[in-house]
Amino acid sequence: MEIQSLLIITISAIFISNFVLSRFLGLCPYIGVSNQLDSAIGMGMAVIFVMSLASVVTWTIYNFFLIPSDSNLLFRIFMHSQGSPPDLSYLRTITFILVIAALVQFVEMVIQKVSPGLYRSLGIYLPLITTNCAVLGVSILNIDSEYNFMQSLINGFASGIGFTLALVLMAGLRERLDFANIPRAMKGAPIAFIMAGCMSLAFMGFSGLKIG
Amino acid sequence: MSVGKEFIKGVYKENPVFRLMLGLCPTLATSSSVNNAVGMGASVIFVLVCSNFIISLINRWVHPKIRIPIFIMIIATFVTIVDLVMAGFFPALHKSLGLFIPLIVVNCIILGRAEAFASKHGSIYSILDGLGMGFGFMLAIVIIATFREILGNGTWLGLSVLGKNYQPALLMILPPGAFLMIGILIGFFNWFEHRRTISRSSQT
Amino acid sequence: MKDIAQFAATLTLVALITAGSLAWVNKITKPKIVEQQKNELTEALSSVLPDCIDGSIVPVKENDHILYYLGYRDKEQTRLIGYAFLAEGRGYSSTIRTLVGMDTSCTIYAIKILSQQETPGLGSICEEVRSGETKPWWQAQFTGKTAKGIAVDKDKGEIVSITGATITSRAITNSIAESVNRLFEQPGSNDIDK
Repeated sequence: MEIQSLLIITISAIFISNFVLSRFLGLCPYIGVSNQLDSAIGMGMAVIFVMSLASVVTWTIYNFFLIPSDSNLLFRIFMHSQGSPPDLSYLRTITFILVIAALVQFVEMVIQKVSPGLYRSLGIYLPLITTNCAVLGVSILNIDSEYNFMQSLINGFASGIGFTLALVLMAGLRERLDFANIPRAMKGAPIAFIMAGCMSLAFMGFSGLKIG
Repeated sequence: MSVGKEFIKGVYKENPVFRLMLGLCPTLATSSSVNNAVGMGASVIFVLVCSNFIISLINRWVHPKIRIPIFIMIIATFVTIVDLVMAGFFPALHKSLGLFIPLIVVNCIILGRAEAFASKHGSIYSILDGLGMGFGFMLAIVIIATFREILGNGTWLGLSVLGKNYQPALLMILPPGAFLMIGILIGFFNWFEHRRTISRSSQT
Repeated sequence: MKDIAQFAATLTLVALITAGSLAWVNKITKPKIVEQQKNELTEALSSVLPDCIDGSIVPVKENDHILYYLGYRDKEQTRLIGYAFLAEGRGYSSTIRTLVGMDTSCTIYAIKILSQQETPGLGSICEEVRSGETKPWWQAQFTGKTAKGIAVDKDKGEIVSITGATITSRAITNSIAESVNRLFEQPGSNDIDK
């Protein structure tokens, strides 16, 4: 059943194989942005949007332009007199990353117009969404898992939520941590990683969830 | 700018993982075994050196406004080359590194060095910078992987190190172990650096 | 305007050069990659159908999708020795794919787990090879058992589960039993009794 598979994908992406805590995707902004709750939420929203959009656009480009199937549009338009559609799947990495870079530019412009406050508070981290492993990661995962359009969209959206969940949890913890007495060498990134380790341990409890 | 200095800085002082905190995703993901760590490190060194070299060559003809897309295209090309060659000639490594091979293209280290260094310096220094940073990156992952593999599996590079009776601490090869290990190691390097600064300033 | 034209020209030039070099590298590596994938499958098939020589294992397809394999004694397909099929089941934390080879009376020759991402040290023991041996020890017990209705000990069957990894063991075993049942619902499959 379609709904059932979408539900499985959602629960999987948010809890069971959380993008940050068990797949190790999206770590750089995770350590960089997670010390304040508001910027964490703002960043999370932006990432959810980019990940959903990127999933959809990269899936479409891959399935209609790059793989050697009958629905390959390039083939249909330009070369249907020749034998078989060309296999351009090796151009996957370069096409995906260029699409993501363009999308992030676009999102940047939109946020600048719509909410200058958010734009300022995100600062350098907004263009850095391009190099966020989670965005390219989810695009490639969609292809490798052979999802259809709807599944790719839901996976992108849910993975973004999983990322935001981990980010917001971490930000909340770090705000409290500011008042704790931490040894100098461990201040900042080291204690953040150790906390991430504890959270990852907690999320491992989800891996036995029997779904579907 | 001496030749030696450009290489060494990437290994310790400006180690991309432990000091600059770049390239964290592949570091944690591939540090579950020393074999994977070396494979990932070697791939990154290749891409870093090649892209630094090409970028330092073409830099004068590229307008600053479009430099990012051009850098991305060049880096993505070398990453795809690594991906294809590995799939054909090292299939086992390709399978275990999986998703993280194409993710080399968004490794902050590579784009970061292209921006910060290769676009401003000559070819020889760019290559050295690439070698140094890449080697420092590989060293960092191998160190983490050494701890994780020995404690979590009792082996190093697949060879049994702690003997048959060792009950491995499974936690270390699972994700939480990666986070804990890197947190401890960064803390250690911070402490070590702090001690060095103190002893240096107390000598003056 | 002139700027934009210049940008576009530079970008297009770089794109063409990069795409061109990738096409060249792809051409060189593609035959090797295809060969690797074929070797993997051939090796797996020979390990589960040991009496069939190279080239005598034939896939049965429906709409480009391989349903199962027929294993003959020789390339001329004179005598059917057995079947090979893929069993998939959701384990503890991943989908486990197992290749199963059995003879014409549903007795398993051997199984080979193709892919799994179960918990290291627990479920992943299903693929563990003891030092000094060549094949995974847990999978060896499937040889000689009847594929129909195969079950783990906890479900009153013959297969001994991995300690602490009941879910993984059950998933693999049940997926084999289900695939055998589904095999006999295919029209045109050679009849086998029981």
